Amino acid sequence: MLCENCHQNEASVHLTQVVDGKVEKFHLCEDCAAQKGIDVHAQPMDLSGMMENIQDELAHLKEERTPPHSARVTMCPICGMTRKDILKKGRLGCEHCYNCFAAEMLPVILSLQHSDQHMGKVPGRSSERLKASVETIRLRRELDKAVAGENYERAAELRDQIKALPVEPGEA
Amino acid sequence: MSVNASPQDGPTGSSYSDMVGITLSSRVRLARNLHGLPFPDKALPEGRLDVRQRIMEAAREVLPLQEQLPDLPSLSRQRLFEDHLISRNLLEGRPESAICMNAEGTHSVLINEEDHLRIQALRPGLALRQAWEDVNALDDSLEARLEYAFSSSLGYLTSCPTNVGTGMRASTMMHLPGLVLLNEMEPIMNGLSKIGLTVRGRWGEGTTALGNMFQVSNQRTLGLSEIRILSDLEEIVQEIAGHERNARERLKQDRAMFAEDLVARAEGILASARLMTAQEALERLSELRLGIALGLTKGIEMKQVDSWLLDVQPAHLQALVGREMKSEERDLERARRLRSLLKRPTKPRGSKKP
Repeated sequence: MLCENCHQNEASVHLTQVVDGKVEKFHLCEDCAAQKGIDVHAQPMDLSGMMENIQDELAHLKEERTPPHSARVTMCPICGMTRKDILKKGRLGCEHCYNCFAAEMLPVILSLQHSDQHMGKVPGRSSERLKASVETIRLRRELDKAVAGENYERAAELRDQIKALPVEPGEA
Repeated sequence: MSVNASPQDGPTGSSYSDMVGITLSSRVRLARNLHGLPFPDKALPEGRLDVRQRIMEAAREVLPLQEQLPDLPSLSRQRLFEDHLISRNLLEGRPESAICMNAEGTHSVLINEEDHLRIQALRPGLALRQAWEDVNALDDSLEARLEYAFSSSLGYLTSCPTNVGTGMRASTMMHLPGLVLLNEMEPIMNGLSKIGLTVRGRWGEGTTALGNMFQVSNQRTLGLSEIRILSDLEEIVQEIAGHERNARERLKQDRAMFAEDLVARAEGILASARLMTAQEALERLSELRLGIALGLTKGIEMKQVDSWLLDVQPAHLQALVGREMKSEERDLERARRLRSLLKRPTKPRGSKKP
């Protein structure tokens, strides 16, 4: 087959291009291909290397998203539980682990529980402020629901209840 | 001895089968941990001893029956397990574990299981709200003496993230022979798992439900209030009970001879067999229970069958006899007892006495 461009040399470069959804085939000689800026000596892409790069990239992204202090934590300083153990057993070693390994645990909790906010009972001995903050969250969600359902009477009631609760610090 | 308490004791007479015919019992348990101390799995033995001491002390007034589980004979632990009072985990006598109970065995606290405390209340029939009120009051009284690990965002902090938040697992025990016989249980089980409820067999592993006894419980413990979790569960339990009633009605109308044959065979085997495994006893007693509900079995009360369902289990049987027995010996004894319980004078059907 002769080169489609110069019609003189034997075509040795065969290209398939998709332009605007149409498949076009080109058959060129090396000289004409080089003129059109096609590198005929390019090595085929090394896919294994690319996969490694992607993995590095992902690991890097993951670390970036993790708060720097917890990214470094591999062991709970209180109970000695390691990140590896937690991921293997799915159990935590102490209450502090929930802070320590928040980066690992929060996605797990979200996928298990479809929530990351407690809405239930609060210990009687906890501070009034803590009780109020859990109650505020509960009332706010109810308020959102009332507004979405255009139940304005209920919404007004809820707003009053929220106002009556002690204000959380930094949330005036 | 505290392990004699039977949580299955409930109302008597004809109201009994109305109340517990399909929904046998309701149970609510709360997982709690003490503030500032590692969870049991990660604690040193001295740490667990200290935790056990503190909790037993705090519970002494409300739950006076207290047993250190590793000190109990294994048969007693097995009995507590058959009574659903301790978990499989505690059956092996986990180090520094204990149980505290009230006299009836309806309120209890397990110490040093997966969490420092597992607080539990049990009620006969469908009574999730009442069981919650019981366990909530128990929790309040313990919490007045103990400080719990708690966070405003994640609630009560537990060893396993599947319990975090309310720490609450509510469940009801259901007898669903109608749905099983009509092959309608599987789609129901699949549907329940999609809406965040778990269904497990009361006895046996995995999906097999010996004696058609199922335990339905909530999966989610975070992001919903206790009352909301309970009312969602109760609504579904009532719906399942409705399906079961409907299935029983269809059995009676469309497959009357099949049902009558099944129940009569169960009666016959229970009254005549010479060797009976616990598994077979549970299956036949379940059919007998259905027979009573369908009005096919006369002269036996459902309450009796429910106590037999406990008595045929290995540790209960050995406690009744008063000694340890090998498996074959138990099968012989179990069959002998069931025969005498079901022995009827040769009178026409309907006037039989157990």
